[in-house]
Amino acid sequence: MNAHLRVIFQIAWRNLKQGGRRNWLLGGAIAFVTLLLVGMTSLASGLETTMIRSASTLMSGHVNVGGFYKITRTQVAPVITDVAKLRARVQSVAPDAEMVDRMRGWAKVVSPTGAFHAALSGVDIDEEVRLRDVLQVVDGSLDALSARVQGGPSNSALIFERQAKRLDVKVGDDLTLSADTVGGVRNTADLRVGAIVKDVGSLSALTVFVPKTVVRTLYGLDPDASGAIQIYLDDPDRAPAVMRTLRGALEADGHRLMRHQPQPFFMKFERVISEDWAGQKLDLTTWRDEISYMLWILKGFSTIRWLLLSGLLVIVVIGIMNTMWMVIRERTREIGTIRAIGMSRRGVLALFLLEGLGLGLIASTVGTIIGAITIGILNVAEIPIGMQAFQMVMMSDHLVLELRVSDLLSAIASITAITTIAALYPAWRAARMRPVKALGYL
Amino acid sequence: MLRTALLSCISLISLLFATAAVNAAPLDAAGMQALLTAFDAKMKASADFTARAYIESKEKDKPDVAYQSVFYRHDALDKFMILFLAPKAEAGKGYLRIDSNMWMYDPTVGKWERRTERERIAGTAGQRNDFDPDSLATDYTHIYVGEEKLGTFDVHRLKLTAKPKSKTAYPVVEVWFDQKSGNLLKIQEHALSGRLMRTVYYPKWARQVEPSTNKPVYYAKEIRIFDEVETANRSVIRLEAVDLKALPANMFTKAWLESQSR
Repeated sequence: MNAHLRVIFQIAWRNLKQGGRRNWLLGGAIAFVTLLLVGMTSLASGLETTMIRSASTLMSGHVNVGGFYKITRTQVAPVITDVAKLRARVQSVAPDAEMVDRMRGWAKVVSPTGAFHAALSGVDIDEEVRLRDVLQVVDGSLDALSARVQGGPSNSALIFERQAKRLDVKVGDDLTLSADTVGGVRNTADLRVGAIVKDVGSLSALTVFVPKTVVRTLYGLDPDASGAIQIYLDDPDRAPAVMRTLRGALEADGHRLMRHQPQPFFMKFERVISEDWAGQKLDLTTWRDEISYMLWILKGFSTIRWLLLSGLLVIVVIGIMNTMWMVIRERTREIGTIRAIGMSRRGVLALFLLEGLGLGLIASTVGTIIGAITIGILNVAEIPIGMQAFQMVMMSDHLVLELRVSDLLSAIASITAITTIAALYPAWRAARMRPVKALGYL
Repeated sequence: MLRTALLSCISLISLLFATAAVNAAPLDAAGMQALLTAFDAKMKASADFTARAYIESKEKDKPDVAYQSVFYRHDALDKFMILFLAPKAEAGKGYLRIDSNMWMYDPTVGKWERRTERERIAGTAGQRNDFDPDSLATDYTHIYVGEEKLGTFDVHRLKLTAKPKSKTAYPVVEVWFDQKSGNLLKIQEHALSGRLMRTVYYPKWARQVEPSTNKPVYYAKEIRIFDEVETANRSVIRLEAVDLKALPANMFTKAWLESQSR
């Protein structure tokens, strides 16, 4: 049996080698489609990674315990109270997770020459280890926001390069924040630019970091109030499970919880205002919920990728079937001969399937290797994305491609499987030929 | 007869001078309260108030925009509604106050959204209180700052602090009243932090007599608004076609406002 199989392998390998230009062309097409698949998969992976990185740095933990406080039926603030106690409880449920709490707000940021609306993130920069790791300071220092380093409450802001350009400010320049307090009275806070950091995707156009004390003063909040507890996990994929566990624990403690809605907190105001309750309700979300309004980018990209690849694969499948038909026609007498000297129908089927498999395997491997090398070079080159609209979609100012071994192996396996399946029908037809008829074929 | 007429004239002139002298003098607490109460009263219509408002808005790095709107007040029941007619992008958009809630209608999405009374109306620098003034006498406590000259006008300058639970946009405002007419000429609005946010001038005042009561109702024909935080931003509101006739009872409703954009 083994010797029989080895013979089939040898014949298939010899036929592949002798295929000539036709096999080279078909192999080239398969390699090209594989290269495209690898490239687009790495682009999608890069997009997803950038999205998680941006979101989990700027506006969300992997899991968030936030909430709303309603002073009256219509006055709503994205605030959680008694935050120290709540944080201790959350830590007891997820003891291995890192966590920080941040204030949430929305304000107009004004400089002498520019203004824009931004999401305010009130932070204690001394506990923001993750933020310090991710942000790359261009000018100034993150310590400008530190009450410990400054020896008292800081009134410095951390802004992104794009924002600094828009406001035309540098470190040390004055900024004004303008917003309404929780009670609905207009208020301002005077700040100084303490640090300018590199952009982290498109989300950095929206977020400004300030010390928690600034947000509390601006909105007239108590010291035990915060915006959300952000929980960081080793594996972000565990976020839904951790959120469910936390929901159970907090409900058991008697906290009032909002129904889970996969939306960022700022899209929930209308609904919360229309609901008939007052006081505190907690709202648990995952990072995906907080950036759900941007996930259409991933979905849209994925759809385009599959449409494009499906079209190309159809062409490849037709090419393979066509080539196989031609091979079978050319080798009809050979098929008759090997059948006459004892090869079974199953052997002939295996022979042609092995040829399709071999062609697919070799071509997809070559395509994957070329793709991986190209992606590596593009990543090292950090190709800048010129248009701002593309930067918004790609969430980065340069091309980010992520190579995952699993994606590469999956590309090889799927393309090889498709080429083998494409060879199945011609191989089956070859296997069904009657030796006498095949030998007489001219 | 002539003597009587002469004496009457002298008495009237003396009274006018005496009134002017009282108005010109620094005001005590009662005087301030009287000034503010009188101002609130002459601004309020006993029935309805309709006017067309033309708003010119200038903002830094944005093209100038001219808005045309019509607003309606039913002061007795504290109702307010404004409907935008132009530009095309804003046409049909409206704000309506029902009880203590301010609602905004956007005809492009056909949805109502609850808004705060303090927000800018339809992206202009105007706020609800520019069209429907707060009650200065009841919403604020007052301090007399002094007598001043504002251009050619002799004015009383007062500092007003919002009372707790009042729905005013700014917690502290300074007001300049013409000593002769009692009209408001200037107002400066401050944030809780003390920062000056807006300066508003009222250079032209007009009055119209209510047909039903013969009561004169005063309104600012022109309002000039200067943003003091984004100093390049400014707006001018001009009121025209003021009408004090009674409005249909069903007007101050969501259905009526929606119907205007159909």
